[in-house]
Amino acid sequence: MDFDYGLLYVVATLLPLTSFLILFLGGRRMGRLGAYIATAAIGLSCVCSLIGATAYFLNRPEHHGHHGTVHGHHGHGHDHNHAAHGEKQADHGHDHKADAHETHKDEHDHGPPWRGSIYWAWVGWTGDKPSMHLELGYHVDGLTVLMFVMVSFIATLIHIFSMGYMAEELQDRVEDHQAHVTRKGRYSRFFMFLSLFCFSMLNLILANNLFQVFVSWELVGICSYLLISFYYERHSASTAANKAFIVNRVGDAGFIIGLLIFWTYCGTFNFEEIFGQLRCPPADAHGKNSLAGQIVRGRFVPEHDLGERKYLAVVEFRLDVAQLERDAAFDKATLEKLRTLNGKSFARAKTFRDALETTLGQEEFEKLESRLLVAGARTISEGPVAVLFPPEPGDHPHGVGPDAEKFDDGYGDGIYLAVAPKPNQYRSMPYWLLVLGGIGIFLGCVGKSAQFPLQVWLPDAMEGPTPVSALIHAATMVAAGVYLVGRAFPLFAPDVLVIIAYVGCITAFVAATIAIVQTDIKKVLAYSTVSQLGFMMLALGVGGWAAGLFHLITHAFFKALLFLGSGSVIQGCHHEQDMTRMGGLFPKMKITAVTMLVGVLSIAGTPLFAGWYSKDAVLASALSFVTLRPQHLLLFLLPLITAGLTAFYMFRLWFLTFTGKPRDEHVFEHAHESPYVMTVPLIILAFFSVTVAWGLNPLDATGSALEHAIHHEYPAAMPDRVAEDEAKVKAEIGNDGILPALVAYQLDKNAYLNVLHLPSLHELAGGLALLAAGIGIAMAFVVYGFGLLDPAQTKAQFFSVFRFLWEKWYFDDAYDVMFVRPAHVVAGWARWFDLKVIDGIIDNLASGTVRLSWFDGRFDLGIIDGLVNLTANVVYGVGSWLRIFQTGSIRNYVLFLALAAVGIVAVLSYVVALAG
Amino acid sequence: MSFADFLFWIVALWTGLSAVMVVVTQNIVRAALWLLFTLAGTAGLFFLLGADFVGAVQLLVYVGGILILLVFGVMLTAQGPFVNLRAGAGEWAVSIVVGLLLLGLLVSAFLMTDWRFLPAQPPDPAHSRYVNDLGLALLGSRDATPPGTLPGAPGPEPAERSRVAYLLPFEIVSVHLLVVLIGAAYLARARRRRGART
Amino acid sequence: MTSVGLQECLLVGAVLFVAGILCMVTKRNAIGILMGSELVLNGANVNFVAFAYFHDLFNIEGQIFALFTIVMAAAEAAIALAIVLNFYNNHVTVDVDAAEDLKG
Repeated sequence: MDFDYGLLYVVATLLPLTSFLILFLGGRRMGRLGAYIATAAIGLSCVCSLIGATAYFLNRPEHHGHHGTVHGHHGHGHDHNHAAHGEKQADHGHDHKADAHETHKDEHDHGPPWRGSIYWAWVGWTGDKPSMHLELGYHVDGLTVLMFVMVSFIATLIHIFSMGYMAEELQDRVEDHQAHVTRKGRYSRFFMFLSLFCFSMLNLILANNLFQVFVSWELVGICSYLLISFYYERHSASTAANKAFIVNRVGDAGFIIGLLIFWTYCGTFNFEEIFGQLRCPPADAHGKNSLAGQIVRGRFVPEHDLGERKYLAVVEFRLDVAQLERDAAFDKATLEKLRTLNGKSFARAKTFRDALETTLGQEEFEKLESRLLVAGARTISEGPVAVLFPPEPGDHPHGVGPDAEKFDDGYGDGIYLAVAPKPNQYRSMPYWLLVLGGIGIFLGCVGKSAQFPLQVWLPDAMEGPTPVSALIHAATMVAAGVYLVGRAFPLFAPDVLVIIAYVGCITAFVAATIAIVQTDIKKVLAYSTVSQLGFMMLALGVGGWAAGLFHLITHAFFKALLFLGSGSVIQGCHHEQDMTRMGGLFPKMKITAVTMLVGVLSIAGTPLFAGWYSKDAVLASALSFVTLRPQHLLLFLLPLITAGLTAFYMFRLWFLTFTGKPRDEHVFEHAHESPYVMTVPLIILAFFSVTVAWGLNPLDATGSALEHAIHHEYPAAMPDRVAEDEAKVKAEIGNDGILPALVAYQLDKNAYLNVLHLPSLHELAGGLALLAAGIGIAMAFVVYGFGLLDPAQTKAQFFSVFRFLWEKWYFDDAYDVMFVRPAHVVAGWARWFDLKVIDGIIDNLASGTVRLSWFDGRFDLGIIDGLVNLTANVVYGVGSWLRIFQTGSIRNYVLFLALAAVGIVAVLSYVVALAG
Repeated sequence: MSFADFLFWIVALWTGLSAVMVVVTQNIVRAALWLLFTLAGTAGLFFLLGADFVGAVQLLVYVGGILILLVFGVMLTAQGPFVNLRAGAGEWAVSIVVGLLLLGLLVSAFLMTDWRFLPAQPPDPAHSRYVNDLGLALLGSRDATPPGTLPGAPGPEPAERSRVAYLLPFEIVSVHLLVVLIGAAYLARARRRRGART
Repeated sequence: MTSVGLQECLLVGAVLFVAGILCMVTKRNAIGILMGSELVLNGANVNFVAFAYFHDLFNIEGQIFALFTIVMAAAEAAIALAIVLNFYNNHVTVDVDAAEDLKG
């Protein structure tokens, strides 16, 4: 492999930016040409990403992830782990060597994942070396590849669709019926914004560091703002844009806090570096993972230490002697011996392991080793450096000695370097800060992905043109939040993950209930989006990393389809969005109706449709989690109910729109099928909404090829050694031995992963989901399909419930009361303060200054001028007096001369006499 | 007291008295006469001190030149007899006091000086330098000045006296004189046309 | 009374010098002042010659300097008389007290 496909992705990212710049410079004149340029750019990006994806899956590294054999779901329990463990054991000797070589290969063969970056800002200079960088880089791994394909493909289709949908804007004068103004068309502006948006989104996916993500994040936000307020003459549109922007600010504030926390403690924004630095807190003897404990960082060897970019996780582990003492795991003699080793470093010939072994003796050493393994070390033999902490608890660890910067433990013929931490590089991070940072970043995701409690902006954002709703608010931008949670997954502490799960769960349910009663076709879809995003968050939160991202991708397809379909309907009905005025449109717009039905079936989770696979995966994840932790039962129940609700309201939408009698003759008469430029994307999307998740055997709910592809990318940063350690720990300590909570958690996760792939559990979850969906669909048929139940009557019966849902759970009102009105009140206070206090102070200052100036003037005139005049007078007087001696007479001068001679000699002699 | 000493005292008294008379006399013509006596006395002193050539030059230049010049000056500026140009009595008093102070200063200066470096005996007039020595010195001849040490100079040892050669000063003085003569002629040329002012 | 020495000569020089100073101070006639300056120069000359006489080391220098002084005095007298004549031409007086044009 000579070609770095990462650059292909960089090109793919920059194409929309180029298009944006061209359109920006071209301005209004571009007209239709602008649309062609933008569409061509994103289309080329799509082609690039498809090539990249092909290349990636052909060259996919097999050493990534520990679930390389996930394709088979049998015997995936301990057997597999034992097997893996055995393998590892077998070539233990050149384990590191292999690692090193692989890293090496990554570096030079450009095999995936493709990385590259440039530093563009340096901070923390010590001497001529900056200690920290800001990067601009790309990191293309499987997740990136898939997201790239998804985003660029959908964006391309939406561009094509938009060419038809926005055709009105091509006119010189456009009449806006809602705002009652006539304005110029904004055709190329729309595509300009779309291009900028695509660039931002692709850059977000491509970024290899949090900072770049944040920049793209904000760019995406501003594009969203610009596109929501595309019809800015409409008051509702500009208000919605403001709302979206402000609500997102709330989330982004959290994001910034998270960023700063990780920057402060890790000194880098690079994902890989951060992941490599975060280490598990050690656990105490009682198997408790003390939250007050510390996250100890392992350390990557940065570029300038090794001469080439090569990230090697150097395993250090702490051995807190005081903790050992408290645990009473060892006798006093052993502890004393350990103390003698405290803080020592060892020459290359003698590793720490050797030293430890000779000091402690064989038996004690093995005991200790097993304990260290539990605490998260790979093996003792790996590092010549181990840090024995000072006995004082809470005391920060110091390095192992000034000379211990580089070690070659002789294993990897010089490639494997264990680098002992310098004192100031070995830092620790309080656990609560890790939690806080995780929550901060998640808060950003909450804002962008419209999760509870910041979900309120997304439905309002439907004020934008429908393709925008499809592109931004269904397929891509809102996916950014989910994507980031997935990308930054290893940053989230267990507690944060639980929060994420609950937030997603609540969001999914709340949004689904609201969607039931909405009548605006786009708002139903908007709430549906929120709800589905909740599903994804839930999946991520319960550890179903792959399931969440899987759902993200399938959802992107069918939600884009649904939105574009609704756009087609709206276009056909002359911008009528209210479903209560539609109905019976099926004969008039057959393609739209059929493709939308595909989308509805997919989102409802009908078997063989894409949504089926992903929704099952999500629910199976939740069920696995709940199986392991029954106290979180809600995390499975609510999504299950939501799945039913989803099926119900989606079918309600379809029935209300396309079947029954036309409720508004006027709308019906004018309804027409959209042009091909709009229907073709619909058909393509419909095709993918079905097939995108298919595997070799479409009937196998767990056999989705896409899911496996994603699963393969499961972040390795959650140490893959857990799998092997589980077996090792079990083998060496036994079930009655100490089992630290972290390992327990990881084992737990592992167990969850195992459970997840238990066919029975998956089948159970899938069956329940199907049942729920079936009930939902049946209800929809009963109410809207066959008209057996009158919706109006039901509404009247449960009016309070309806009211509650119609008012969107009173979120907007609650925020109005909680934030907006208090803000107004505070603003009033501020105004009063400004007018009275600040202005008063300034006025008083002014008059005081005037008064002071008067005194100053007096002072100036009287004293300063007086002094000056006095000086002049004195000089004048002295001059006048001296004038007497300047007689002008030569004779007098001679006399003075003589006198002066006498006087000087007299004075001199007097002085000499005094001195002598 | 040798005859030379006696003669010295006579000439010295004569010179001093004449000088005092120059000061005291109010008539400028008489003052010029007293000045003549003073200058002549000084020339006598030069002779007594073995400086024959200097004395001769003194007589020639002063008595024969400058004094005549002065007398001409008096004559040219005479404004009628006995114009009162006397200084006031107060001025006189102050002047005398200052003069006495200055005299006291000078006298005390040479009285307080340690003259021991001088030869104990007054030099033999036969050793005096003659005109040809002076001429050689002015021409820059090396042999004109004997080596010797300079007494009273600061330092651990008396400094070696440098050889004397006055050719360059001599030339400078010559040019100087020429310039002065031209300048004097220029300054003194008659310019009556602007009329006299009082 | 011992034989005449350097100090006696210096005394004569001092008297001449002081007399010259007094002459300059008390004479209002410009020519009188010129005479005073001649006296002062003569006093100095006496000193030069006296030193030349009483010490071999100064034998040549003393006389040479005396000669220079005489020459300078002659030049000075010539210039001074020219100035006096000019002054007289302008002011019709030789009273130096009248020369106060530049007095502030």
